[in-house]
Amino acid sequence: MPISSNVFVRSTILLLLVGLLALLGIVGTNIWLVERTQVYFNEVIEAREARTAAVDLRTALQDAESGQRGFLLTRNDAYLDPYLAALNRIGPRLTALEKVLIPYPQAAQPMAQLRENIDFKLAEIATTIELARAGQLEEAIAIVDTDDGKAAMDEARVFLDALIAAADRRLTDGATEQRNTATALRWVAVIGGFVVCVVVAGAVWTVLVYTRELAAAQRKVDAANASLEQRVQERTADLGRANEEIQRFAYIVTHDLRAPLVNIMGFTSELETSVEQLDTYMKQQPDDGTEAFAEARLAATEDLPEAVTFIRAATRKMDALINAILKISREGRRQLKAETLNLSEIVEATVASVHHQVTESGGTAEVDVKVPRIVTDRLSLEQILGNLLDNAVKYQEPGRPLMLSVRGRQAAGNRIEIEIEDNGRGIGTSDHERVFELFRRAGSQSQPGEGIGLAHVRTMVRNLGGDITLRSELGVGTTFIITLPRDLRSFLGSQTK
Amino acid sequence: MSNDGKPVTIIMIEDDEGHARLIEKNIRRAGVANQIMPFTNGTDALAFLMGPDGTGLANKGRQLLVLLDLNLPDMTGVDILEKVKNNEHTRRSPVVVLTTTDDQREIQRCYDLGANVYITKPVDYDGFANAIRQLGLFFSVMQVPETD
Repeated sequence: MPISSNVFVRSTILLLLVGLLALLGIVGTNIWLVERTQVYFNEVIEAREARTAAVDLRTALQDAESGQRGFLLTRNDAYLDPYLAALNRIGPRLTALEKVLIPYPQAAQPMAQLRENIDFKLAEIATTIELARAGQLEEAIAIVDTDDGKAAMDEARVFLDALIAAADRRLTDGATEQRNTATALRWVAVIGGFVVCVVVAGAVWTVLVYTRELAAAQRKVDAANASLEQRVQERTADLGRANEEIQRFAYIVTHDLRAPLVNIMGFTSELETSVEQLDTYMKQQPDDGTEAFAEARLAATEDLPEAVTFIRAATRKMDALINAILKISREGRRQLKAETLNLSEIVEATVASVHHQVTESGGTAEVDVKVPRIVTDRLSLEQILGNLLDNAVKYQEPGRPLMLSVRGRQAAGNRIEIEIEDNGRGIGTSDHERVFELFRRAGSQSQPGEGIGLAHVRTMVRNLGGDITLRSELGVGTTFIITLPRDLRSFLGSQTK
Repeated sequence: MSNDGKPVTIIMIEDDEGHARLIEKNIRRAGVANQIMPFTNGTDALAFLMGPDGTGLANKGRQLLVLLDLNLPDMTGVDILEKVKNNEHTRRSPVVVLTTTDDQREIQRCYDLGANVYITKPVDYDGFANAIRQLGLFFSVMQVPETD
């Protein structure tokens, strides 16, 4: 099952929330149950204390009564020992019981009754023992016989028995509740643990699935990268082959075009020689007045020489074009030689070569090169600069002194930028790209040229791994911007790779 | 062009008939009157040069000068040059390579194979005519050995 990262994040957060809730539930329930246990435990202790106090009190009362009865029967003081011991115990036990029962207001009234009964009973016992000591046994027995003491004792016993029974119930209940609490605690732990386990298992499963998907995606990306690299290499090789093919094609075409051109030019020359002879002859012939003669003379003296002139001009033009193509195709085949050059020196030397033509019309030329060294092909660089400077001189605005400026500076990406600015006639916006095309020229065709120069320059600049652009405004001037790699070898290296 | 009065035959291997005609005209203008045998393809030219048995023995006693174009329809002039210079009967015959190709490597290769002169055809006709005429003048003074 595919998991998008969004679903993954959401499901993971949900699982974590569920796990957190389960843990909180377990902890909360635990605290609550422990609290409950504490309460039960306290109640059990209270119940035990109450029971002990009640049992002790009951025993003490019975001891006191049995001591009284033994003494009344025997009038032997030894039988009074239990009574005397019980007397000391009854007070504290009663106080203890009262203390235990303080939290139970419903027990206050029976407790008061109990105290009264006990006081009454103890008073009766004390009275009877006094009377018996004084020898008035009859009267003492009479007091016992009234059953008042017995009734009080019975009442106290009933209450104490009920209290003990109640305490016993409380103890049993407490134990049961404790057991229930323990059971509940166990269940909460089991269910909570189960939930946590499920959550952990779910989280682990999600993470595993997601990780596996990530790994698969990573593998795909790696494969894509590898194939991309291979494709780039293939394309580069294709481009290299295509480029070679074009250059070979240009070379072959120019050579094969030359052969027929030699014929045309050769036989045109032969024709010209013949026409000259014919012309001379026709001019010498006296006009016989026929129309045929007049036509033949016109053909020999005007039509034929004119035709030959046009053929010659056309073939010369064609020859120039073929030479231009040949030149550019040769430039592409030339082996570039990378060497360390002083750019500033080369620029100054090139500017010096046109210096005469610049100053002739009162112009100035300035050089400002801030790049000392460049590694590139000297011949190409000289030809590029020379061509551009020649153009600046050739296409200056008539009547305006030429102002030439060549600037060199560092550019981003370990490149060098050379700007060649003139204030010549400029190039119209629509021709900014066209001037770099072969056999294309911009503006008025006032100067001779085949439209090769800039095409040649661009070919050379690109061979050096650079590019050339221009900024120009018609009638204001032109700036050519050449960018070149600082080190030609790095460009050549990246090509052959 | 002579050697002990025996006539030297110029073997002109040139596929372009126009070129052949222009070459012939200009050689004649230089005053060279020797027989010129034109061939327009390499096969026929080799058949003549090597004889019917292909050994080159047929040329015994002949004096030949070969004018060779490199761009031929059926083979390159380099093949012919190689065969001529490797055959013991024809290897002493001067070979003048006259072609449009001005590739440096091609020129070097031709000289390596034993070409005696390499001339690039100038494209403009005046230059072309001039070169051929000078070649004709050169022919008129050069010695051509007899094939053996």
